[in-house]
Formats: sequence, C-alpha cells, structure tokens
Amino acid sequence: MQLSLFTALALLVLTAIGFLAGRSRALALAGNGGTRLHSLPNYHGYFVALWAGLPGFALLAAYAMFASMAVNSLVLGQMERAAAPLQAQYESELRDDPAYTGAMDEIARLEIAISELRDEADAVIESDGVQSDAVAELRERQAALQFEIDDARFTRDTRAEAVAAEMLEDLRAADDLALARAGFEYGRLPSEQREVYMADARALAFGVELASRDTPELRALADTLRPIHQGLAWGGSLAALGIALAGLAFARTRLAVRFRARNRVEWIISAALALASLIAILTTLGIIFSLLFESLRFFASIDWRVADFLFGTQWSPQTAIRPGQIGQSGSFGAVPLFAGTALITLIAMMVAAPVGLFAAVYLSEYADSRVRSWAKPLLEILAGVPTVVYGFFALLTVGPLLRDFALFLGYEDAVTQSALSAGLVMGVMIIPFVSSLSDDVINAVPQSLRDGAYAMGATKSETICHVVFPAALPGIVGALLLAVSRAVGETMIVVMAAGQAANLTANPLESVTTITVQIVTLLTGDQEFDSPKTLSAFALGLVLFVLTLILNIIALRVVQSYREKYD
Amino acid sequence: MTDAARPPIADAVRQRLARRHRAEGRFQAFGIGAIALALLFLAVLLGSIVLQAGGAFTNYTLTLPVTLERESADPRGDMSEESLRRGSYNGLIQQSLQNEFPVASSRTELRELFGLYSGLNAASVMRRVVAEPALVGTTIEVTLPVNHEIDLYLKGVTVEEVFVDGSGTLRPSGVEGEVTLVAATPAFAGAIDRIRDQAIAERDATLDRAARLESQAQSAASRDAREAALAAAARARQAAERFETIIDPETPVELGPRTASLLVRINGGVVAVSSLDPDASTAQGRVLLTLENADPSDAWTEWVIETPSANRRITDQQAVYARALESRGMVERRFNTNLFFNADSREPELAGVLGAFIGSVLTMLVTMLLAVPIGVGTAIYLEEFAPKNRLTGFIEVNINNLAAVPSIVFGLLGLAVFINTFGLPRSAPLVGGMVLALMTLPTVIISARAALRAVPPSIREAALGVGASRTQAVFQHVLPLAMPGILTGSIIGLAQALGETAPLLMIGMVAFVADAPSLGLSGLTQPSTVMPVQVFLWSGASERAFEMRTAAAILVLLSLMILFNAAAIVLRRRFERRW
Repeated sequence: MQLSLFTALALLVLTAIGFLAGRSRALALAGNGGTRLHSLPNYHGYFVALWAGLPGFALLAAYAMFASMAVNSLVLGQMERAAAPLQAQYESELRDDPAYTGAMDEIARLEIAISELRDEADAVIESDGVQSDAVAELRERQAALQFEIDDARFTRDTRAEAVAAEMLEDLRAADDLALARAGFEYGRLPSEQREVYMADARALAFGVELASRDTPELRALADTLRPIHQGLAWGGSLAALGIALAGLAFARTRLAVRFRARNRVEWIISAALALASLIAILTTLGIIFSLLFESLRFFASIDWRVADFLFGTQWSPQTAIRPGQIGQSGSFGAVPLFAGTALITLIAMMVAAPVGLFAAVYLSEYADSRVRSWAKPLLEILAGVPTVVYGFFALLTVGPLLRDFALFLGYEDAVTQSALSAGLVMGVMIIPFVSSLSDDVINAVPQSLRDGAYAMGATKSETICHVVFPAALPGIVGALLLAVSRAVGETMIVVMAAGQAANLTANPLESVTTITVQIVTLLTGDQEFDSPKTLSAFALGLVLFVLTLILNIIALRVVQSYREKYD
Repeated sequence: MTDAARPPIADAVRQRLARRHRAEGRFQAFGIGAIALALLFLAVLLGSIVLQAGGAFTNYTLTLPVTLERESADPRGDMSEESLRRGSYNGLIQQSLQNEFPVASSRTELRELFGLYSGLNAASVMRRVVAEPALVGTTIEVTLPVNHEIDLYLKGVTVEEVFVDGSGTLRPSGVEGEVTLVAATPAFAGAIDRIRDQAIAERDATLDRAARLESQAQSAASRDAREAALAAAARARQAAERFETIIDPETPVELGPRTASLLVRINGGVVAVSSLDPDASTAQGRVLLTLENADPSDAWTEWVIETPSANRRITDQQAVYARALESRGMVERRFNTNLFFNADSREPELAGVLGAFIGSVLTMLVTMLLAVPIGVGTAIYLEEFAPKNRLTGFIEVNINNLAAVPSIVFGLLGLAVFINTFGLPRSAPLVGGMVLALMTLPTVIISARAALRAVPPSIREAALGVGASRTQAVFQHVLPLAMPGILTGSIIGLAQALGETAPLLMIGMVAFVADAPSLGLSGLTQPSTVMPVQVFLWSGASERAFEMRTAAAILVLLSLMILFNAAAIVLRRRFERRW
C-alpha cells in the first residue's frame, strides 16, 4: 500500500515534470518569437504530460486490481505443490482406515434409501395430495433416515479430522515441512475460512494488522508470501515509473515546430469524454447481465420451473434450505409478492393521483406566482425526505394509528404493519412526483386552447375539465405511469412498514410483502451465495427491473408523443 | 312574444350560472385542499419526528467518585499499557456505587444496583487511565450515562407514578428489613382506593379480552385455532380471578407484580408496602432504602408507581436507587454527547451516530469523485461533441431509463459485480460509494446537460469565430458559464444519494459497527454504515430507548440534507444568469 502510494506520487511528479519539459522544449523551439509553433506551448506540455502520466497510471491501476490475485495464486500454487505428498499420504491413510470407509459405505446406502423414499413420496403426493397421512408418515421416515445419515457423516468427518490431526501432529513434532502442513490445513478448510487463513498469513507477513492466530504453519506461509508480494510490488512500481519515464522521453522527441500537439491532446480529451458516456451503457449492460445471469442460475437450481416461479401462490423460500424435504419443494411462487406490490401501489396511487393532480391543476391554473413560489418548493420537500424517514413514520406513527382506528371500528385482527399504512405513506411520498410532472404537462398545453374556451364563456374549471385536461391526458397518463414505476420499486417504506408475511390477500389491513421487501430479506444477513434462496432475489430483481423498464418506456413514449403534438 | 317565457329562461340561466360558479368554487377548493393536505402530511411527518426526537438530546448521567485502586487498575503491577488495559474498572465503578448504598449486599440487590448503568462504560474509564497512568491510585470523578430503562423512567416516558403527601402520623416499626407502618387514622385509604380502582379496570379489561377470545373461538377456521383461542381465554379468566382478592373490601390488599407499587417515603428512607390492612391504617412492607430512625413522623409521602412491575423493565428497588441518587445530585439530566460522539452500540445510552456519519462522509466522497467527473464528461460529450447517430441516441434513451430504475436494482448490480465478481470488500464505503455513484450518474448527467444547453450558442460561435478549437470553446467559454448549474445539479444528486438506503442494504452496509471507521484512505475498505442505514437499524431495535434516538438520527440526517440543498440554492441564486 505504502509503496504504491509512493509510486502514485512519483508518477504525479513525473507528469508535472513532463508538462514543464514539454512546454520549455516548445518555447525553445519557437525561439525568440522567430518561428511560429502550430500549437501553443502549453499544449506541447500537456502532450508530454499525458504520455508520461497515462501509461504509468494505467499500469499502476492494473497492478492494484490484479496484484493480490496474482500473489494469492502464486502462493497457493507453491503451497499446493508442497502439500501434494501430504495430501496423497492422507488419502491413502483414509482408504486404509476401516472406520472411515465403513462410514462412507453407510452414507452411500442411506442416500439410496432416501432417494427411493422420495420417489415413493412423489408418487403418494401425486395420488393423495400433500396433506395426507401417508405423506406425514413418509416425512417421519425421511427424518429418521436423515438423522442416521447426519450421524454417519459426523462419524466420517470426525474420523477424517482425527487422521489429519494425527498426521499433522507427527510432522509438527518433527518440525518438518511447515509450508506443506500449511497447504494441507488450507486444503481442509471450508471455503469461507480460507480467506481468514490467508488474511492471517498476510497479517503475520506484514505486521500491519493483528493476526487472529499465530501457528508455525501460518508463519511458514507468511514467509513464502512476503518475498512474492514484495517482488511483485517493487516490480510493478519500477515498471510503472520506467514506462512513465520512457513515455516522457519519447513524447519529448516528437515535439517540433509544426507538431500538432493541440489536435493530439484534444483527441485524447474527446476520447475520454466518449469513454465517460459509455459508462451509462456499461451500467445498463451490467444490470441486465448480472440479473440475467444470476436469475438463470436460480432457475437452473429449481429445475427450470419458471412457470412455478411466476404463477405459484406459495412463497416460503426459508423452508427450502434443506434440499429435498418431502412436500416442501416449489415454495418459490412469487404471486403473493406481485399481489402485495400491486395492492400497495394501488393504495399509494389512490392517495397520490388525486392529491397530486389537484395540486398541479391549482398551482398551474389558479395560484398566482407568489403562492407558487412557496407552495412548490414545500411540496418538493416531500420528495427530498429520505425514504427511510417515511418508513420510520409509517412504522411508528401511521401504523399504530391505523391499527387503533381499525380496532376502534371493531376489526379485531388489525396489525401495525399493514398494506394500508405502507401504501398511504408511499402515496404521500409520490405526491410531489405526480404534481410536478403533471404541472409541466399542463403548462405545456397551448394558451390558445384555453383562450378559445374562455371565449365560449366557459368558466375556469370547465375549461380545465373539458379542454385542458383532455389535451393533457396523454402526458398525465405518462406521469402517473412513472409514478407507478416509482411506487413499485420503492423499498424502504415497505421493508419497514408492510411486514414480511407472504399473504395472498386483498385486505389492506393485513400485512403483505412485496418484491422489494423479499429482495432485502433474502440478501441481508448471513447467506451463502449459491443457495436458491439467495439467487431467487436476483430473479425477483429481474422481474422488478423488467416491470419498471416497461412502465418507463411506455410512459416516456406517451409523454414524448404528446410533446410533439404541441411543439 | 316571449315576454312571459323570458323570465323563466333568464332564471334558468341565472340558476345554471350560479350552479356553475358553485362548481367553480368547489373545484378551486379541491385544489387548495389537495395542497393543504400535502403540506399537512409534511407538517405531521416532521412534527412527529421532532416530537419523538426531543427526549434523545438529553440523558440522565450518573457521576461517581471512583477510587482507582492500584491492584484492580494495574493487575500485573508494572504500570505497562497492557496491564492497565486488563484492569477491572467495572469492579471499581461497582465498588464506588456500593459505597453509596452500603446496605445493599444480597445478590439481587447488587444486581439491581449495578443495573443502573452498563458495564460497557468501564471501557471509557480504561481509556482515560491508559492515556494518563498517573491517575492510578487517585480518586477520579466518572460520569456515565445511566441505563436506558432508568433514563426513560426518570424522563417519565415508560412509568406512571404519583407522589401524594401522607396525612396523619405514621410510625415505622424499624429501620431495616421487614417493617410495619402503623397510623392512628386510615392514612392509606387514598392509596387503597387508587389500587382497587386500577385492579377493577384491569379485571374488566381482562374479562373483555377473554370474552373476545371466546367469540373468536366460535368463528375460528381450524380446530387448532379454536383450541388456542379457548386456552387463551381460560388463561385470561384465571388472571382476572387474581384481581378479586384485591377488589374485595374485606380482605387485606396484597400488592404484587400485577398491581401498582406503593412506596412510602419516611424519615429519609423508603419502604415498599406489600400488604395493606382493610382498615387502611396499617401496612406491612420491606425497607428499600434505610430509614434514619424509627420515630413517628408527620412528613411522609405516598409514592405510587402505577405501572405494575410486570409491565415495566425496572424494579421498585431500582426506582428507589435512581431517585435517591437524583436527590443526592449524583444523577443529573445533561446534554447527550454520546449521541454525537460515539459510534453504534448495543446499549442505547451509549449509541451514537458518529460512526455512521463518518461512513456517510467517506461514501459521499467516493460518490462525488466518481459521479461528478463522469457525469459532467458524459454531458459535455453528448451535448457538445457527439455526432447525432444511433449510438448516441441509444445512450440518451439509456440514461433516461437508468434515471428511473429502482435504486435497489443498483444494489443488486453492486452485489453481483463489485463484490462477487471483483471481490471488493463487503460493507465498505468504497463499494457503497461506487453503487451510489452509478445511481446518481443519470441525475448529474441530465442536470449538467440542461445547464450546458442553457448557455446561448452565441458564446460558442463567438469563441469559434476568433479561431478557438471546439475543445477550447467548450472548456474555456461554455463550461465556466454552465458551472453553477452543473454544481447545483450535482449537489442535488448527492443529497439524494446521501438519503439512499436500499442499495446499501444489498452490499452489506447494515453491519453492526461498534468502531467508527477511520477518516482516511484506509477507512474506505473498513466495514461501516451510513446515516440512513443507521436509522433503519435503530428503528428495528427492540429497546424502547432506540425509538427516540432513531428520530434524533433522522433529524441529524435531515439537517445534513438541508445543508446540501441550501448550498445548491445559494449557488443557484448567486450565479444564476438569465440570457
């Protein structure tokens, strides 16, 4: 870290030197006002500076990105090679160990038994349904078998552990083959602990942070790691500085009176600008591909039952943690989430559409500029308040209020986290969204239409209802669609105020869950990244993305065609 | 000829006109109503948060003289930093607190006494001693926040209590242990009434609940649900039974966990009454705070804690300790510095927003350094350089769509690409800043393009006319004029990013972080959280005391955002130019 920081500073200095060198060279070429340069001296300076700085920084960036990966793979390679004989010895010892092989046979037998049982269960479910007694009995038998297999696995693992520990103990006593021992230990660790192991070795090697453990194996690994790391670091730094110097020297030789330094520099600038504009495309591609890729993995893990996902009515991703539980498959039916999202969006729009529209009409048609000047910014504040604040408000103020009100009206099952409270608060949040978009649209209606209506003797409200509103309708529809897409994608309010229960209900006083809530629930907290449970969040994300994209495209189209009509 | 018909038509027209004008008035009223409603929502939203936050800015602190005995503070006896770090400072604080109440000796009493503060406070004493080892052996004054439940009690939030001056003379039978309080008159009649009324209300409510559960059982969908409801109803009826003995005027009133507590302050001590005779002149009880003497006294106070002890998180004994310390001036209400200068903590009284604030600063720094240059660059390219072709058209559509993509999708992108593919650390401000930068980019681009477009073409043409290249015209003439608009748009985009929560949940910035990240380059990869996520975390905490702290954190967040937006407005006012 220190070294690369130092290198970066040195590169900066080199870049500055490049600028000065290029500039003074250009001035020298120009002589005392004798010949005329093609480009200003500063551009010669920029040209040399760019040649000095760009390649060097590019190399440094590449080093920063790939260095730790390269070091790791080199060290791991060495470690594996060193540990190979140990691994072979370990495997042969296991093969000769009766307890271990016995456990393995037992596991294989039980696995077959379980898969048979599962086939049987499928048949029974097919004929009698999931709720039948036969399935319950089968479930019990499976649980018993599962218990046995867990037992056998435990025996196997403890035995393997014991063999490994014995081997390591002997070697440790002889203080022999420390790196090989490290490689062997590392190979036996589960993947999530491997990173900690490497981090400990790194900590021991550089002494910057505190290692959580200190063993001879880790020391040996640290000793291997240090020279490789330092070699790479020094090599990278020197190469970056060397390339910068070479670039500087080369660029300086190119300078001449007729040299078109300005054109070169401007070309680089416009290339950089074009690259910046590609980031937007890269972001979209990144979103599409990451969602698509992870979703495909999810669909693969549920055997491509895409229809079950889109049209299933049972959402309980938690129960699918243990693979192959009888009658527990197919719990990724997302319809309750879609229904919950739709319900909350509907409630939100029922608040936001009338309030927002009337506010927009009043502000654009009735209010004088003084009222507009304070009312508009105040409305915009509603849009600027962070959504987590709305969530807190819904959870602690609106939710209890609505529950007490429902209890007062005699509805017994009222809960704090309800679709109604989340929807209401979300509606408040999108009021300014609706009002400012419709305000623009209404203002864009040509004054001549209004004047025509007034000339016929229509009152202001009649003009608005019968002339302005129909003329602005496409734009207003577009605005409402954008607001819907906003409500569908809104996360924090529903996470905090709508609850977690995947109820399939149209009752706004019950708690429902939405697409975004489930994404958050599935992806926060400890999770392994490969389980269908986690991956399903990406499938939900894909649905959300496609849904909002379609809404946006339609809305933008509608608004655009409307604008064209009056432009 | 239509002289006769005319008035009816004129009437009809007039009526119609009146109707139309009424409709007009209604329509306008709807408009005003809509705006008023929206502003009312805003007022209620902000008002409720300010109200809830009120209590969090002060808290009760306990100030104790703590003697740093050598053998406890320096277990190894060599005054090394390592030894000082291992000192048992909590033991020293406990010792000091015990000195205040020498009678407290049983395990329960001590647990209640030491429950007045959190043991985590020992760390701050340790830090003080490590910073200044000369303190060992001396007596220092230690100020610590009291436990959050005690704090809420003293603030009067969680527990209802009343103090009533006693009438008549009361004679305690002793100064310690179990005592009897005897009065010549029915001095406790008021207290008995109060307790009986409460018991009656409680019994009726419980019976109501039982009846409701029974009616639910009638209409229950499944057998299991019905049985559960019936069992709950039976339990409620049993619970209601227990109030009968209290309500019965013939039997002594036994006070328990489901009734109010009656404490009697007399002769500088406190007695907790456990049973009252029906004639209201005699009370049995236990001394919670030692009496100075057993003389009969006129000056005594009934102290009724109306919230039953089963429904509150502090015991009678703790209330007595807290009030005693308060009257000795050791417990005071002060400005809550922990809220601003501490990082997160499991103990509400020690929790603060500093860690989240630093995390927010780091994250915003990354977002700004990425989003502003890239966004402005894109805007300049699209507005000034790009040829009008398919590709640039596609980029434009793309940016408009990105602006409307839900923020949580950017979080998924960050998780899949930055963390899982590039292997960047989870929970780090670096990744958070990158994700928020991608999210803010469309806002910055759109506002920067608007600002560039607002610069009149004559400026460009003049520059080009005197021989400047396109780049020179843009960078030396157009960009400086567009800068205020660009900056305003960027600041508004950053303010949005500052309040964003959802994408950061995806990349693991919801971790509990007890240490503030360092405010530097290394802080970028340390686990941290940001202000809005801190609000989310606290709002989900079970302790009641976090509720007001959440509201306070929201106020801090909102004031930051107001600062950002005010900066944008000032910029706009100052440099705005109309062509």
